[in-house]
Amino acid sequence: MTVRIALLILLSFTYLLSQTPTGTEIIDRVTTIMSPENSFSRGTQTIITSSGNERVFEFESWAAEKGKSTLTRYTKPAAIRGQAFLMLNNADDIWSYFPRTKRVRKLASHAKKQKMQGSDFTYEDMGGGDVFQKKFKSTLLAEETRDGELVWKVELLGITEQDPPYPKITLWARQADYFPVALDYYDEKGFNTKSLVLSDIEMIEDYPTAMTMIMTDNKERSSTTMRTLEVTYAWEPSEGFFSERNLKK
Amino acid sequence: MKNWGVFLLLPSLLFGQPEFFGYFESEAATMELGTSNYTFGFNKFRLDVESRPSDNILIGANVNIEKFWGKTSWNIFDFLPGYTDSGMELIENIRDTILVDNMYMRVSFPGADLTVGRQQISPGVGYAWNPTDIFNAKSLLKPSYEQTGVPAIRVEIPLMGRTILSSVVQPEDNWKNSTKQVWFKYGLGAFDFGFTLAELQQPSPTSILLGDAFNVKRTLTGGSFVGELFGWGVWFEGAQNTLDTLVTFTPLGPASSLDPLEIQIDKTYLEYALGVDHTFDNSIYLLVEVLHNGFGVKHKSELRLQDYLYSLSGKGNSLMQDYAFFYAMHPTFDYISLSAIAFANFNDNSSAFSPMVDWNVLEDTNLSFQGSVFWGDDDTEFGLQDWGLTINVTSNF
Repeated sequence: MTVRIALLILLSFTYLLSQTPTGTEIIDRVTTIMSPENSFSRGTQTIITSSGNERVFEFESWAAEKGKSTLTRYTKPAAIRGQAFLMLNNADDIWSYFPRTKRVRKLASHAKKQKMQGSDFTYEDMGGGDVFQKKFKSTLLAEETRDGELVWKVELLGITEQDPPYPKITLWARQADYFPVALDYYDEKGFNTKSLVLSDIEMIEDYPTAMTMIMTDNKERSSTTMRTLEVTYAWEPSEGFFSERNLKK
Repeated sequence: MKNWGVFLLLPSLLFGQPEFFGYFESEAATMELGTSNYTFGFNKFRLDVESRPSDNILIGANVNIEKFWGKTSWNIFDFLPGYTDSGMELIENIRDTILVDNMYMRVSFPGADLTVGRQQISPGVGYAWNPTDIFNAKSLLKPSYEQTGVPAIRVEIPLMGRTILSSVVQPEDNWKNSTKQVWFKYGLGAFDFGFTLAELQQPSPTSILLGDAFNVKRTLTGGSFVGELFGWGVWFEGAQNTLDTLVTFTPLGPASSLDPLEIQIDKTYLEYALGVDHTFDNSIYLLVEVLHNGFGVKHKSELRLQDYLYSLSGKGNSLMQDYAFFYAMHPTFDYISLSAIAFANFNDNSSAFSPMVDWNVLEDTNLSFQGSVFWGDDDTEFGLQDWGLTINVTSNF
């Protein structure tokens, strides 16, 4: 009898374990749900500095190949109207276009670490695709409740040889659909430099979509809010859309 | 090509739901030159209008209105090392202008873009110098400032992948005198490569002094690459140039006291710029670029009047042969960046350092302060000037 009970407990425990996905499996699911094949969106980017000054930018963004190729063009304010950025190969290749000089410039990968228009997002943060899968090793840390929802807490440790954008990221993803709701970014010293919170999540064309993303810089005490005004995943890129030719249009 | 474009483009521009934008720029400057101090500046209003009558057509134009104040009459010889005490005068009056700078139409076909009209053309990958750019010359203190429009016909044909074939023709009174340039650009891995051929007739180095209309035929064969090595951005832009005529002039009129001017230039010369840049983890951006211009003069003692005049005319990229340019920038405070430009002439050992504060005061308004200090003997390119200070405010709409 004792043996049977012990066996039952062991089987139940094994069953439960088998239902708990690994960190890698969670990140695979996160990547899938965050990477629709194509998208077009229009949004605002509001930067609030530590001194409370606010700047609002408007942009249009196109993405294809699950975020591997993106093109972002600013429409407001007037000072940067028409500035555009083309990112290919998950932001490994970046070209910028400045309408005032009508010049296209290829940026080296170090430019990925620059702030986009002085915001708390870097170009690298905006790059999509399979960065989490390729450049990090993922480990499930815990199950937690966040804002009333069950979430997985996953640690992503950068694989040095893959030149990860951050040495470490902690990610919280909803258990219900694996959509990420928060990310903490760490530097080499283990300091939580930036935090991203995704909210107002709506189901749009079968894809959960965060209509609001707030990135907080914990060092500079500034924050940037990205609000999605319009989004569709039904957009299809024409041939040659992600090109220098289109960057200048 | 001169004026008919205005009549052709204007109706479409006005009836295609045009968008208006532009900026107002005001600049005040002071500088110490020799024993004299000068103050001067300008107010500039630029109005751009763009219209898209259909998905495949873009019509754009802009008008620049510039009013200058302070010292607007300059003696060219005050800026020529070795000639400042010559007592000679060649006065350049800077006049207020209203200029239709650009007016063009771009038609996008499935396999090509055709742009016709006066348009800004900025080829090349260099930051401070573009040896393959036959249309513009940059100011070292403002290398990223917009360039003046060029009346031209341009065709860009995207080929496979990141490959683009483009050609520009700046028509003149006949095909022989027209400026022609072809670019072939392609991407390979983390690099973009380009090859170019060009032919143009450019004014002789004596044109400022004599007002002559004599042109020299220049052919250019060049190339460029831009990419990344060891985490640093790297680029190269260079060209082999051939000038096919040498002419000797005897000055007339006010300049008749000068010796005969002889355009003794090498028939072929090499010009190239090589640059690197990097953004460090502390957000400091650093850029270094060097230039070798075989057309420039190697030793200070060999400089002649026409060399200065040619350089001042903006047709050559540099007066002498070997230069370096440095730029560093750091976004230090909220909406305030600190930066500095430095450049040096290695042939006459003169240099300049120009720190700058750029403040994004309001969403569309920038205020900048730029100082400049110069080093070198009084008879050197940069040592001639002592210092300068510029305040600039630009408000976009």
